[in-house]
Amino acid sequence: MTNLLFAVLLLLHMLPVYSSDTGNLFIATDRIVTHGHSEGVSGHDHIWHREMDFIRYLIGRGDYRESLFLLERVVPENNHQNDSLNYLTGWVYYQQKTLDLSARHLLQVSKESPVYHKSRFFAAYSLAHDGDAGRAGEVLELTDSGTDNLYHALQRLQLGGISLLERDYKRYRSHAADFSGNHHVTAAEEQRMEHHYAQLRDRRTASPFIAGMLSAAVPGLGKIYAGKSAEGVAGFLYVAALGLTAFDFYRGSGPDSVLFVLSASAAGAFYVGNIVGSVAAARRANQEFNYEMDQRILFDMHIPLRNAF
Amino acid sequence: MKWTNGFCLICIFLCGTLSEGVNAQTEKLMKRADSLFDSGNYFEASIAYERVYFVAEVPLARITANLKKTQALKQLGEYEKAHGDLRRSLTYRGEDSLRLEVLYEMAICAYLGGDPDDAYGLLRQFRHLFGQGSGQRVYLLEGLALAELMQWDALSDHLENWVLNFSDDTGLADEKLQRFAEILTEKDQQARRDPEKARLWSALIPGSGQVYAGEAGWGLLNAFSQLASLGAFSAMALNGYYVAAVFAGLGPFQSFYFGGIRQAGLMAEAHEKSRREKTLAAVREFLFNLEEELGAE
Repeated sequence: MTNLLFAVLLLLHMLPVYSSDTGNLFIATDRIVTHGHSEGVSGHDHIWHREMDFIRYLIGRGDYRESLFLLERVVPENNHQNDSLNYLTGWVYYQQKTLDLSARHLLQVSKESPVYHKSRFFAAYSLAHDGDAGRAGEVLELTDSGTDNLYHALQRLQLGGISLLERDYKRYRSHAADFSGNHHVTAAEEQRMEHHYAQLRDRRTASPFIAGMLSAAVPGLGKIYAGKSAEGVAGFLYVAALGLTAFDFYRGSGPDSVLFVLSASAAGAFYVGNIVGSVAAARRANQEFNYEMDQRILFDMHIPLRNAF
Repeated sequence: MKWTNGFCLICIFLCGTLSEGVNAQTEKLMKRADSLFDSGNYFEASIAYERVYFVAEVPLARITANLKKTQALKQLGEYEKAHGDLRRSLTYRGEDSLRLEVLYEMAICAYLGGDPDDAYGLLRQFRHLFGQGSGQRVYLLEGLALAELMQWDALSDHLENWVLNFSDDTGLADEKLQRFAEILTEKDQQARRDPEKARLWSALIPGSGQVYAGEAGWGLLNAFSQLASLGAFSAMALNGYYVAAVFAGLGPFQSFYFGGIRQAGLMAEAHEKSRREKTLAAVREFLFNLEEELGAE
């Protein structure tokens, strides 16, 4: 009899829970008006958590488009939910490599959130990767890393990396002075950052003017100076072949012959083109070097973040 | 003892009530997903089916949701994703009809996703598990996969099995095999163009490789360019412009000569690709007609 009474009481207790659960399960794709909001999922914690669990599951599967579709329909009711929403949206955009939108959402995560530091670090990284190193630096400078050694080490490393991306060596040195090498998450990258700094500092930048002048003196030499040896040799051979052809016609028919004028014009065009090409090659070589260095720096900023979070 | 009984009863009651609640949820979610699919909202339907898969605790509901999601993804043209999702249900050991459906859908997604090799492998697995007594759609898909793989002998054997399994007319198999052989011969008669041969021809006689590949205009243009550059070389050399003859005559000639060889090979490859496409289109049409014909019987 007691058992039966127990069972009946339990049944009465459980019923309302099920009815409210099942009644709200479709709202993510339905955009049903609930709890006074215009559309989307909102409100009660258990519905919210269920929806977030499903979205996290989709993110885990790599279904980013589907996750965003659901996240756009979620209406948060309090700051905590708002933080979760911004964090997940930012994270999905980050996974999709839409870094500007990722940073925008991650930066909206409040300081009270347990994912505050992660959001700030990844927002700064997204901005840096997106070419806005200045703003990335500002974000990190304004981030309160509290008393956690890991966050301090990460902040120093990220700020150092950002300084290198901006080629601000003085600022880099001031951040690098705090590199301790004691934290296992950042120790190796701190060393590599120093190596990148040394490479950037010791790099001889190819001067487009010198490259042009060298190619004016000896066709192709400017390209060799810019580090494009094969292009330089090929350029020299083309100009030399056309020059010799023009000389051959000049020797045989004199300066007034059509063949000489044509071949000399072609040789002249190639000669001038080679000078212009050498100037461009020097600029390209500098750009390539800078791009490669930026990629290495970004890589070494990224690895500790992925290891830490 | 009284409390033990009570505890057991509560546990049984909770399990029963909870599973009933989850089943009711699953059912409701499934209905909603179905209605999204029926209204043509395939993307939303695919999410809704995934939600069923996520919520459901019964394997039958999960595999059903997975299969339905496949239909939505197929409508969206996301064959590879559908194929990947179905892989989750390969371990299902329940109803044979569902296991069969999973393998078939995986095969069709592999075929539509441009991997006939995988599709054929899955269909072989299908045959191994479920025998020859499968529907016409399986025979059709296997035929299509074999055609895509250009395995004409295997396709011929397959056709014979197909017709014999679905028709009482013994002469029909011979008739269909003969028609299939005719299609292949007909398409085969359209001259084959071997890229290697085209390159060889162009190396021996300038422009002839392009003519062999069916592009006579390009062949003539290439031959003329080579002759013109050789003529320029000779004229300059005869007039004593030896250096100019080498650079302005032989230089362009070698470019036209080697470029012509490469161009002939590419043209022959393009010709072969087009011929293969035409053959495949004819075989596909034949297979679809055969399915229709056997289905009508």
